Amino acid sequence: MPKLLSLNGEFESPATGPLAAGRHRPPWPAENGDSMVRQGVTAAAPELVDAGNWTPECGKGVRLTVDDEVDERFLAANRIAIEFPAFNDGRGLSLAVLLRTRHGYAGDIVATGDVHEDMLHYLRRCGFTSFLVPDERSLDTALSTLAPYSDYYQASVIEPQPAFRRIGRGA
Amino acid sequence: MYRYDSFDQKFIDERVAHYRDQTRRYLAGELSEEQFLQLRLRNGLYIQRLAPMLRVAIPYGTLSSRQLRMLAHIARHYDRGYGHLSTRQNIQFNWPELEEVPDILADLAKVQMHAIQTSGNCIRNVTTDEFAGVAADEEIDARPYCELIRQWSTSHPEFDWLPRKFKIAVTGAPVDRAAINVHDIGIRAYPAPGRRSGTDGEDLFDIKVGGGLGRTPVIGALIREGLPARHLLTYLEAIMRVYNRYGRRDNKYKARIKILVRAMTPEGFKARVDEEWSHLENSASTLTPAEIARMRAHFRPPDYPPREGAAETLAADRLRDPSFDQWVRLNVSAHKQPGYAIVTLSCKPTGVPPGDVDDRQMEAVAGWAEAYGFGEVRISHQQNFVLPDVAADALHDLWRSARALGLGTANRNLATDIICCPGGDYCSLANAKSIPVAEAIQQHLEDQDYLHDLGEIDINISGCMNACGHHHVGHIGILGVDKKGREYYQISLGGHSGDDASLGKIVGPSVSRDEVIAVIQDILDTYLAHRIEDESFLHCVRRLGLEPFKERIYAKAA
Ligand code: SF4
Repeated sequence: MPKLLSLNGEFESPATGPLAAGRHRPPWPAENGDSMVRQGVTAAAPELVDAGNWTPECGKGVRLTVDDEVDERFLAANRIAIEFPAFNDGRGLSLAVLLRTRHGYAGDIVATGDVHEDMLHYLRRCGFTSFLVPDERSLDTALSTLAPYSDYYQASVIEPQPAFRRIGRGA
Repeated sequence: MYRYDSFDQKFIDERVAHYRDQTRRYLAGELSEEQFLQLRLRNGLYIQRLAPMLRVAIPYGTLSSRQLRMLAHIARHYDRGYGHLSTRQNIQFNWPELEEVPDILADLAKVQMHAIQTSGNCIRNVTTDEFAGVAADEEIDARPYCELIRQWSTSHPEFDWLPRKFKIAVTGAPVDRAAINVHDIGIRAYPAPGRRSGTDGEDLFDIKVGGGLGRTPVIGALIREGLPARHLLTYLEAIMRVYNRYGRRDNKYKARIKILVRAMTPEGFKARVDEEWSHLENSASTLTPAEIARMRAHFRPPDYPPREGAAETLAADRLRDPSFDQWVRLNVSAHKQPGYAIVTLSCKPTGVPPGDVDDRQMEAVAGWAEAYGFGEVRISHQQNFVLPDVAADALHDLWRSARALGLGTANRNLATDIICCPGGDYCSLANAKSIPVAEAIQQHLEDQDYLHDLGEIDINISGCMNACGHHHVGHIGILGVDKKGREYYQISLGGHSGDDASLGKIVGPSVSRDEVIAVIQDILDTYLAHRIEDESFLHCVRRLGLEPFKERIYAKAA
């Protein structure tokens, strides 16, 4: 059974979800971040419907492929899944960035398909808030590689300011 | 040059720890070969024909004496005592142990170096003019912008998993020594009209995309003129997003951005990028004047003590010693600062694989950079060392020391200054060997007393069509091909990588290894027979076209 690792718990309403606050920063890495994340681990795979069949009334998440374009209709879904055909296919990263920054989507974005633990830190910074970790991958490793760096140079979905605007850099 | 602050240092220290953990998980069987391949490539580690190969980043080809000494230490301690200067201003070690790579990275981190993104389908080490900051003809030192691009592209969340590798080059001089026409993105930086860079007004950029060598060589298309410097990173972001989303991933030979630009047409691609950029313009990634100024300060020129009488001393030295005079003519270039010179230390003496340097040579170059300059060294894409700040009256001393260590050959840009990839001796992708071909040509030309009379001729050799030896832009290009399991070579003429860049045209059927020397001789003989006064080889080829060369080469066979 794949495990759903979720950084933000529930995503009932896009309008009130934790990402709606404007600063798209999930609770990781908080002081007790590890336990917060662990609370978000569930064995239940999210209920998803392929983009072609999805309707706002179905009450389920919508599943996009990495080369789908964003359709404004999907923004009403409480969860959008992006399916990775291969863990090193970077298209899903750009799609998530567009959902967050261009379309202001504030619900859960979950990575499905070939999700590899070493991609989680990229996924997280591109606005993914959940990861469906395949059966054969270790959840412990996934958790330990979630944030291998304490800070980064560039802006990202979860840190909209690049380092040069946030901190005094040495000359 | 750029010096790390605590932010940079922390990042690369964490990178070492991260990679160490990935290596540990691989060795423990938690990562498959394919999974680890993707991770190690983002840290410059290939598995080659004979052993792993580690490519260490030398950002835009600039390094300090201290850093070069560390490279010498790595060559001695973890390798067989030498390294190979690559055509992208990096250094490669051919014999490290996979298990020891994390330790090598930790040693590199001690001197503010790394191997991040030196391979894999990501944004690679940004390159520039090896004379940046000191060239007499330069308008802008491109290195502050290179460093801004380096920091922005390091572990970028969105652009580290591209369809294919991605190379950016920047130049700030009217003469293009950075080959910006044959890069995925080529940037020409210049001051706003009537203004001086760094004092008043904002620098501007012309941006080309979709140039490249490899199987389908293309000259880049200009998609933006006069972009103000503050928009550099957001504009790059727009280009990268369009490429990341729409570049082909189904066929690795069609995955470079040049194929996408061609499919969309340059106008169509530009329209896409401009649309994307309209959402990003003036976003938080827009550079601040303070950030640009901070970066410039890192590259402020040193205080050059005046050298009274340096020009006279040099003139007297040259008069006294004709071999020294010849070396100065070929290997010494004009410096911004009167009394100083830029020295190219040739790593192409006959009998040594082009670009190979051993630990003693690295130590010596580091020492000369301190004794004769300000402790700075450059690597050129022609695979030579450059000392950027040598006092003119010290050139003779330096030359004598360099000669004693095999670094004083007077052949910069001559036919023996061959650009050559590692080829079949090391590289598992090769169709044919390249190093022995380079050596045979050098040997042959060395024996001819007209080598200097031939003037500037770029001979570039690649062992396969990945074109690491840039054969398409060699005045004479040599490409290794496989003919029924035998090594053959396809010869092209008329390529050039500078401002008026052009791609070489194939002269005819490929030839066996034994025939290469005779073909080169035919080409040179044809040139000598047809040149008008001191017409250059390239000019002569462009004027004559391929016919006379073809006739001469293939006449015997017919
Ligand atoms: S051109 Fe081919 S043979 Fe030469 S280094 Fe590149 S991949 Fe290897």
